[in-house]
Parts: sequence; structure tokens; C-alpha cells
Amino acid sequence: MKIILSYSTINIMQEDPVSITSILDKLTINPSDVIVSRNGKLVPEDTLISGDDEIRIIRIAHGG
Amino acid sequence: MSNGNPANGGAERCTLCAEPPVIRLREPDRHLCAAHLIADVEERAALMIRERELIKPHDRIAVAFSGGKDSTALLVCLTRLLPAWEDVSLVAITVDEGIAGYRDDTIRAAEEVTKKLRIEHVCISFTDLIGDDLDTLLIGRETQACSVCGILRRKALSVAAHKAGATRIATGHNLDDEAQSVLMNTLRGDLSRLVRTSDADSHDCFIPRIKPLAGISEKEIAAYLFVQDMFPFLPECPYTRHAMRLEVRTMLSAMEQKHPGTMRNLIKSKRAIEKHVNWRAVSEPLRRCRQCGDPCSGELCQVCTLRKSLGK
Ligand SMILES: [Zn+2]
Ligand SMILES: [Zn+2]
Repeated sequence: MKIILSYSTINIMQEDPVSITSILDKLTINPSDVIVSRNGKLVPEDTLISGDDEIRIIRIAHGG
Repeated sequence: MSNGNPANGGAERCTLCAEPPVIRLREPDRHLCAAHLIADVEERAALMIRERELIKPHDRIAVAFSGGKDSTALLVCLTRLLPAWEDVSLVAITVDEGIAGYRDDTIRAAEEVTKKLRIEHVCISFTDLIGDDLDTLLIGRETQACSVCGILRRKALSVAAHKAGATRIATGHNLDDEAQSVLMNTLRGDLSRLVRTSDADSHDCFIPRIKPLAGISEKEIAAYLFVQDMFPFLPECPYTRHAMRLEVRTMLSAMEQKHPGTMRNLIKSKRAIEKHVNWRAVSEPLRRCRQCGDPCSGELCQVCTLRKSLGK
């Protein structure tokens, strides 16, 4: 699967389904600070992703 | 993942219909599809407006519209809710601070949104207001960027709102912003700021300010726009952000994640304090700036103080 985080892309070799929460956890990203899309569609973080899914992590915070 | 379908990790469908969910919300724990998220956000904003009487018939609302996500969500939301009130009109006001490599894109984005929503749109620049853009004003004083910008932005907004004949100024402050402010003012021991930053935060001008999205979290706002293809992917402001707000923000969102309801509870505490406050003890007598006549708390208002220090 492919993970796009702002401008950098992370490729993760992972066949088994994994929750977005656990991916955010590994990247030490607080779920409140981002919204996440799978193949262009917004999904909740407890969604399981796998295979060819393209995940985009969008930071919502601009501070200030 | 308490209420989820084990095969899918989370919920396979919206708590209210058969559509796929786009967000999981807590208190109460629910998964919502795009349509139900939009309805949920707009209903809560409408409720906030009704309960606090933020909008009255015949109001003309100036929406402080930077083109960023919060003000875009506010404009979209108010446009939809507008038919519910008698003879209420909107005007979007964008302040062009004059920040090279940042503002041009956001102003273009702002113009596209108001065109799409068919909302009257006016721009006011720092150059109109004080004769120079922010980049020029800040030469040699970059560390004061956010405070200089904040003072002038507020003034610009107020000037443009008066000119547009507005009876209210609506800003896109969300639940996260509000909770951060409560905590920051508490950490600073600033009780008068803590209780004064409420709905009637109209110290600098006589147009009352309203915050219809103050009960909606930043994440809900981002999702609300994303599912409508209106999430603005914009550059961040190049000037450094308020260090303390950033710290407070990180801390609060970690707390909120672990203990859902933390932000709402902070605001509840503030409201409880407000009920017991001796207003005379915290409010400064309203005076007039001896330079420009604007209401202020000291001899000179913040704008005139700034003008003086800038030699303007
Ligand atoms: Zn639904
Ligand atoms: Zn003044």
C-alpha cells in the first residue's frame, strides 16, 4: 500500500489488513490533527486498509 | 474500535443510513457518512446561533473570510442556513496583509469560493489601511509578526465591515481554537481575558462579533469541507506561529484523543466561571483613544500605539 503524507510518500509492504489508527500511531501522528482519505475518499481512522490502497494523510492544522 | 464490525475494523456503514462512513465522532460514539456529517455540522451551527441569538432578522453579516478552512466552512455553512432567517444578508471580507508568496494564492482561492457561493466579496489591504504591506512593516521586527498582524487585521476587518454596513462580524473560530484560548488565558493567569473573549467580544468596534462554529471541532470542519470538495490545500503562513498556542494545541489534542470531551469541558468550565464573575472587577472602563477616538482601554488604542512605534 502507499501512504501519502503531505508531500512525501511512504510505501509500506503490508499484505494483511491494518487499521489507519495503527499507521498513524507508528508515524506518531495524533488522529485529531489529520483527516485521512483512502483512494480519494474520506474514511474514519478505524477503517482497515490493505493491498493496493492509497492512503493520504492530510494535516488540518495551520496553528494560530 | 468498540462499535465496529470486526471484519472491517471500524463500522461498515453510517450509524444513520447505509452509506459508507467518512468520520467517526465521539460523544456519542457514531460513524457518519458525508451527507450526515454535513447535516450534523450545519444543525449544530444552527443550534448555536439560535440558542445564543447570534443572528437576528435584518442582520447584515460580515464574514471574516481568509480563504482558509475555518472561514470557508463558516461561509459555506452560513450560506446554507441563511434562508432560515428573515432578510439576512452576507458579505465576505478578505484582509490582504501583504505577505509575499502566501497571500496571493489564498486570495485567489477566496475569490473562487465567493464566486461559487455567489456571495458579495470585498478585500481590504494593509496598504489601504496603513500605507504599507505586512512584509514591509515587519522589516527588523519579524518576531512581532503575529501580534502586529493581529492588531491590523482586526482593525482592517472592522473598517471594512463598517463600510459594508454590517451589523455583525462572524469569524470562523472553532472548538479547538476556543479551548486553546481558555487554557492559554488560564496558564497566563489572565482572568479578564479569559472571561472577555466570549461571544460579546466587541471591544474594538461597535459591531458585535459572533462565532457560529465555536462548537465544531477543527477535524469536523476539515472533513465537512473535504467531502464537499472544498478543503483548501493552501500554504502555511511563513511567519512563525505563536509558540505558546502551538504547545497548548499539541497538548490539548493529545488530551482530547485520550479523553474525548476535554475541549468541551474546558469551555464549560469557562462558562461556569463567567457566571460567578464580578464584572466590575475584571472589566476596564471603556475609554476613547485620544488619537482616533476608537473605544479602547488605555490612552491610545492598539492600532495608534502600533502606528506610533512604526513611525506611521
Ligand atoms: Zn448517513
Ligand atoms: Zn487609536
